[in-house]
Amino acid sequence: MPPIPPELAVRRIEAAAAGVAVALAGRTAPALSGRVLDLVVGRVARCHPRAFAALAELPPATLRIEPADRPAAFLLDVGPAVRLRVAGPDDPPPDAAVRGPLADLMDLLEGRIDGDALFFRRTLRIEGDTALVLAVRNAFDGEDMDVVADLAGAFGPLARAVPPARRAAGRALVALEEVRAALLRPLADRVAAVERRLAAFDREGR
Amino acid sequence: MAPFELICPAGTPAALRAAVDAGADAVYAGFRDETNARNFPGLNFSREEMAEGIRYARARGRMLFVAINTYPAAGRVEPWRRAVDDAARLGADAVILADLGLLDYAARTHPGLRLHLSVQASASNAEAVRFYREAFGVRRVVLPRVLTVADIRGLVAGTDVETEVFVFGGMCPMAEGRCTLSSYATGRSPNRQGVCSPAEHVRYEERGEDLVSRLGGFTINRFAAGEPAGYPTLCKGRFAAAGKASYLFEEPTSLNALPLLPALHEAGVKALKIEGRQRGKAYVAAVVSAYRRAIDGFARTGRVDDPGLDAGLDGAVEGGRDTAGAYRRSWR
Repeated sequence: MPPIPPELAVRRIEAAAAGVAVALAGRTAPALSGRVLDLVVGRVARCHPRAFAALAELPPATLRIEPADRPAAFLLDVGPAVRLRVAGPDDPPPDAAVRGPLADLMDLLEGRIDGDALFFRRTLRIEGDTALVLAVRNAFDGEDMDVVADLAGAFGPLARAVPPARRAAGRALVALEEVRAALLRPLADRVAAVERRLAAFDREGR
Repeated sequence: MAPFELICPAGTPAALRAAVDAGADAVYAGFRDETNARNFPGLNFSREEMAEGIRYARARGRMLFVAINTYPAAGRVEPWRRAVDDAARLGADAVILADLGLLDYAARTHPGLRLHLSVQASASNAEAVRFYREAFGVRRVVLPRVLTVADIRGLVAGTDVETEVFVFGGMCPMAEGRCTLSSYATGRSPNRQGVCSPAEHVRYEERGEDLVSRLGGFTINRFAAGEPAGYPTLCKGRFAAAGKASYLFEEPTSLNALPLLPALHEAGVKALKIEGRQRGKAYVAAVVSAYRRAIDGFARTGRVDDPGLDAGLDGAVEGGRDTAGAYRRSWR
């Protein structure tokens, strides 16, 4: 198996961290998760005013964003008051919904992956008002968005630490992967030898 | 000298930067209204964004073409004329037009503005192309996706107008600019409002493991579990005829003419065009990079044999497969 690129290794870690955050959001009191999401969205909106202006120009509507591999979903309200909130059991049906693995939804948000390609592969599911889904997708895809860097930017010097931290983490993860492969290699050789012997027994048995 | 110009799509400013950074020689884009044939929600450029885009491309030695390629509404030509005036004022390297009246307006009002004939004009023979050249000074024609390589060779030999051909992306199998399939189902026109299968008329429904796509209330396809999906266009719908459901016009598939670069060069084609202003910037970056490498490799070796090229394109294709389309026309 070819080694994974460092940036992909880091991306997996970030997606896993986001998964934990989503799971926590689903178990937190709505008032608390609402405040946290308001802060996150406010920060991202300040970094990407064009995208949020486009969302604010849309007719009022609600898009459900559902990570298929996580226990929580979100509702994005567009129109004059753009807001992201955790979906609850008593919310009215949304105008549209997108459903897919969290890592792919994150890549889609940041324009790292093409939404049409995900749809062609049936990884992304869309229901309801297709025009709303397209408008939201295009608003975010028109930005050069990096949510981790955007959020780190709220803490001043931390923003400058993100690129070198990612590079260092990438190198470390690749090194770990190489160590793991080296440790497992003798075991894999033993298993292959056992399989060969079993196959020989099998042939003799016949 | 490069064997081809590479002309790349941008539906947003970020896609424009992605195209330029990935090696586009020129980017084509439209204003955010009905004057261009990709008038989809949240897509396209304000005047300010177009000005920024032109500056970004120009600073890197690239060009920007403005697509104004729908047909003006009867009695309401002003938005189209204003688009031509603004493209000229902002310094676009060319405008891509289809309508005869608009070509005449542009030629008379902005004699220094380079005119390209859009694929929406469906000019598919040398006589038609010569007419546009003589009447309006058109410098380049974007050819419809229904010609064979031999047809293109004959057309190039019969005119001194530059030719640009689609090499990757959506496969429109119809007479472009004259197709009304989507209009019948939705009441909105690709040729006048710039929307083939407008999103507000598209619905997807999950039925068990199947995906059903509907346009304007008509069910046009049903994809089984795991079957790659396609765009909700009628020309790629699956319909029951004689008791059997099949693709009557075209299957969900993308054009990919990568292996035909040597033949297109030999035929005298000037520029290669990638379709997809409605696609995300990740698609633009991947496809433009692959074609940039292919063109540069072809310039060096005269061949297109880099085995890594297809890897960048595999995930981008509609329906999970690609075709050389009419260029080979193997069904003949």
